[in-house]
Amino acid sequence: MDDAIDPNRSVGRSANRLELREKLTGQAKYIADLSRPNMLHAAILGSPHAHARILGYDTKAAKAVPGVHAVLTGDDFPDGRMGAFVKDEPPIAQGKVRFIGEPVAVVAADDEATARRAAQLIEVEYEELVPVLTPEQGLAEGAPLVHEDLPNYFMVFDAIRYGNVLSETTLSEGDVAKGFAEADIVVEGEYETPAQAHVAIEPCGALAEIDEQGRVTLWSANQSVFRVQANVCESLKLPMPKLRSLTPRIGGGFGNKMEAHVQPLVVQLAIVTRRPVKLILSREEDTETVRVRHPFRIRMRTGARKDGTLVAREIDTILDGGAYGDDSPGVLGYSLLMSRGPYNIPHVKAHGRLVYTNKLRSGAFRGFGNPQVSFAGESQIDEIARRLDMDPIELRLRNAVRGEGPWFLGQKLASNGFVECLETMRAAAHWDERRNSSPTPGKKRGFGVAAAAHISGLLGTGAIVRLLEDGSVVLNTGAVDIGQGSDTILAQICAESLKIPLDRVAVASPDTDGSPYNWGTTASRVTFTTGRSVALAAAEVAKQIKELAADMLECAADDLELRDGGFVGIKGVPEKQLPLFLVSIQAHWRRGGPIVGHHTWVFDRPTVDPKRAVVSGLPFRQIGVYSFAALAVEVEVDAVTGKTEVVKAWQSVDVGRAINPRSVEGQMDGGFAQGLGFALTEEIVFDNGRVVNPTLMDYKVPTAKDVPFHMQTIIVESPEPDGPFGAKGVGEIGLVPVPAAVANAIADATGARLRKLPMTPERVLTEMLPPETDDDAA
Amino acid sequence: MNLHRPTDLADAIRLLAEMPEARPLAGGASLVAMMNARIVEPAALVSLARVPGLAGITEEQDGALRIGAMTRHRETASDMRLTGGRSILRRAASRIANPVVRNMGTIGGSIALADPAADYPAALVCLDAGIEIAGASGTRRIAAKDFFTGWYETALQPGEMAVAVHLPPAPAGSVGAYRKLARIAGDFAIVSVALMLGAEGDRCTTLRVAVGACGPAPLRLPEFEAKLVGRPLDALDIGALGRALAWIADPVDDVRASAAYRRRVVPRLVTDAYERARRKHEARR
Amino acid sequence: MSDRPAITLTVNGKDCTVAVDGAETLLETLRDRLSLTGAKRGCNQGVCGACTVMIDGRPMRSCLSLTANCTGSDIVTVEGIAPNGSLGRMQAALEETGAVQCGFCTSGMIVTAEALLRDNPHPSAADVQAGLSGNLCRCSGYRMIVEAVLLAAAGGGESA
Repeated sequence: MDDAIDPNRSVGRSANRLELREKLTGQAKYIADLSRPNMLHAAILGSPHAHARILGYDTKAAKAVPGVHAVLTGDDFPDGRMGAFVKDEPPIAQGKVRFIGEPVAVVAADDEATARRAAQLIEVEYEELVPVLTPEQGLAEGAPLVHEDLPNYFMVFDAIRYGNVLSETTLSEGDVAKGFAEADIVVEGEYETPAQAHVAIEPCGALAEIDEQGRVTLWSANQSVFRVQANVCESLKLPMPKLRSLTPRIGGGFGNKMEAHVQPLVVQLAIVTRRPVKLILSREEDTETVRVRHPFRIRMRTGARKDGTLVAREIDTILDGGAYGDDSPGVLGYSLLMSRGPYNIPHVKAHGRLVYTNKLRSGAFRGFGNPQVSFAGESQIDEIARRLDMDPIELRLRNAVRGEGPWFLGQKLASNGFVECLETMRAAAHWDERRNSSPTPGKKRGFGVAAAAHISGLLGTGAIVRLLEDGSVVLNTGAVDIGQGSDTILAQICAESLKIPLDRVAVASPDTDGSPYNWGTTASRVTFTTGRSVALAAAEVAKQIKELAADMLECAADDLELRDGGFVGIKGVPEKQLPLFLVSIQAHWRRGGPIVGHHTWVFDRPTVDPKRAVVSGLPFRQIGVYSFAALAVEVEVDAVTGKTEVVKAWQSVDVGRAINPRSVEGQMDGGFAQGLGFALTEEIVFDNGRVVNPTLMDYKVPTAKDVPFHMQTIIVESPEPDGPFGAKGVGEIGLVPVPAAVANAIADATGARLRKLPMTPERVLTEMLPPETDDDAA
Repeated sequence: MNLHRPTDLADAIRLLAEMPEARPLAGGASLVAMMNARIVEPAALVSLARVPGLAGITEEQDGALRIGAMTRHRETASDMRLTGGRSILRRAASRIANPVVRNMGTIGGSIALADPAADYPAALVCLDAGIEIAGASGTRRIAAKDFFTGWYETALQPGEMAVAVHLPPAPAGSVGAYRKLARIAGDFAIVSVALMLGAEGDRCTTLRVAVGACGPAPLRLPEFEAKLVGRPLDALDIGALGRALAWIADPVDDVRASAAYRRRVVPRLVTDAYERARRKHEARR
Repeated sequence: MSDRPAITLTVNGKDCTVAVDGAETLLETLRDRLSLTGAKRGCNQGVCGACTVMIDGRPMRSCLSLTANCTGSDIVTVEGIAPNGSLGRMQAALEETGAVQCGFCTSGMIVTAEALLRDNPHPSAADVQAGLSGNLCRCSGYRMIVEAVLLAAAGGGESA
């Protein structure tokens, strides 16, 4: 499998996950597997109303249940406010409730069943308020306000906010009026995408324990120990040294575990009871109370000249933000940033509004707004290709952002494999030889393509690399491995940088006490942003090694090189070398002090070139470094029912450099499957604000039978100069183009153009057939 | 909560009579899921795991097949005595959930729950199956079409339980088709069609069509079927039967699909099932 | 308070006696009483498959099995597939193909796949997809897991 790779190399090798054995043998410990002596179990009482004032509580009956140790309501919690962009969220409902299921009270008891029973005995008096159930209702004149205090909330950026609009963002380049005037054809459409549930197989949970000094240790299912610490401390008004946030193994996140879930509740219960408290959400609670992907309504139009040159794009979007801000302003800004697509469209206007509603909050979910706008944008590219009778890959190649770009708003690209992605995908899919006739009677076959780009770099991170006495190394980055394999990737980068075997690198578990700050495992950022820190911290270690070794070998530090197997030696003189452990011993006991390399940075490449772009309400100013992808799918549509099956997929992805090729494929396969669910079967349905389908019986994610076995990933490497060994991100991009590629394939197979997700059999059949007449029923 | 494990049927019946709030426990695939969700909280359970004679498929004198109530879906899905027209039941069983759940779920438990979107009801109505019921006053047998009486409702009286399903022999040379539309593999049906076709030469001698998941009970129109029997296979107006079945359907709007879509799909699936059955029939000749 | 009769079952080859309420699931017994946390609670409704264990030789949902109804049964969990630090053939094949990401579905997958191979030693890819259709994975898109099962069937990934 890796025979071609030099066994001394770590980067480029499909090394096994470091923690693989424990996962294979059932020994991996996730949050639900942890316990502490004298531990209590918690349960939540959720709000039955979408919007209501809380008038009072009666906890007598609940407190009287044998085995109950604490019953806490909003009155028993500090009134801090947390939130990634807007500090609008209390640790538990206080004063009013804003969505059905919002935690209103919590119980800690000897066991889970008792806690749940007692929670149901808590009585809460409500004064119901008119709920805002859709963004349109929220935008209407005289709409009830979900957050009356919005004007006073602290926001981390200069948001345009009013009424129920939490954020309004506009990004533009060029002059769209002029652009559309030059267009020979204009494609227009309205698109709608639903709330999607993450359905990580592990539900959210947390366990908090307080010590004699009043310091809380908190384990939780999370994507960032630092975001957990900040959220808990802000909402509970706890000084940060009072909380230590740790991580067990994580059973997938996809964005669901990036911001707070039950952590503030569990910590407060631990503080009050002075006992360890554990809470694991049921699957239904996880789906109903944590967060979902933002529903989008998109109006988009794209203009092209008849030779296929794209000249203008305009997009207007409304996001349903749900009851609390969470990552929403970022999702709005990012979706608009990505709405031009990987093309040189000179005139673009992208505008959007994020609206509060009295429903479950929307938050980060793999793709972060990009899948939604790409559904619209890549569908329109396809429609233009059809109208011009051009091959859809050719049309994309004609307009592809090449070389240094720039990306929409002006950031130059230091690496760009997009064209190679399109070409390798076309070749792998044998695109030019495709045939639309289906070998299966009753099925219509079709092919569709879509392209994508996604960022790799943003916010702060660091790395500490310590040389241990025996010449091995411990790496501490604070980056949580949520199952996507980052511990292994970062260890590979470290091992390669120091030319030591992979098994000589230990990876420290993230700990807010000792790890360098890492914003989080999200936004496809760890390989690039954190990996870069690892490489640079390792370089710092290499420098210190050489300085000391120069002394020991009596030469200049510049004459030295690191050698495979953990050695430092004089260039050109093979026999003059020292094993690293000798250098380390020297450092520990004799001279210089133990060798430690450290790097810290915050991504600072500007997103906006003010000479090119006009921007308002954008929540971030420095994100970037783009990976690219191109996807082709082959579908079969059942002519009788409209049910669509993807039978084959080919996806090319430019990751700069594949640190671990198999991990790259795993992320692309998994992203594709989640995108397939988003495209065809997944939709959280709300009825007057209540989630109708929170169970896995009613909310269907793809099974092994629904995802094609014939999925091929082609790795393209256009090295990013700033990336570790040239690497960029890959976590999300596999999902982004899927809905559009499938929609384009359905259009190819049947002529039906769908603009609403998911593309259920019902929606496809309705689009395929002429409208029903009375004859159909007679 | 007490779980009782009687070792003979009479004891099981007696326990159910003594404890009206108790429920029989078959495979647990549905009942324990409902208990976990706190949809039901039985005062006691009477497990059928140790009652002999309830599991397994046996041939009877008249060529009928007796399928014990505790027969797991896995077994029903793989028993090759279910051939010809009766292959419908095997196909329906093989579409239930997934292989692991099919190791647990039973035909008796499934029909007692009577989820309209489950796979057995339409198949059993199509096959003119009989349901054998045991209670304190003895055993009785009723037709499948009389067993499924409403949404999650059956003809079982308090204290009664289904102990077996009887499949009469299918007409010689008949073939079966089972067509299930679901969102993903193993989901409950949006619409299901069970169709049995028999022919002599190119004339239809048997036609039975049952539609599931489109109302509280499976749909069937034996009088309409009778009008089509005798027609040449390629001049048989199956579309009319499909439209008639859609007309009498009473489907709901739910997260799986709308009622309107279900009505629209019924005739299409009926025609499709008929065509598949015809192809099978041709292949056998 | 109802009776809690003593239930004896064999778990991973060892006899265990537990006193449980009739409503306690096998999943709860395994995880909370016997400290066998390999089987996971992903949905508690029998849909996700993360709780799958062998009961009397067949893969079943431990979340839908009542311990009191398992008297005398032979239970095998992922911890018992290959004791003493070795790996069973499915585990070895998963190791070789790099199919494991977050690992939460892995315990249930291994149990189901072992039974699949026992019943069908030479499955096609489609057979494997059907056989694993009751074990949800949200990370991998299933492809590498299917490859692992095919590899194990071909005799690759021998116990390490």
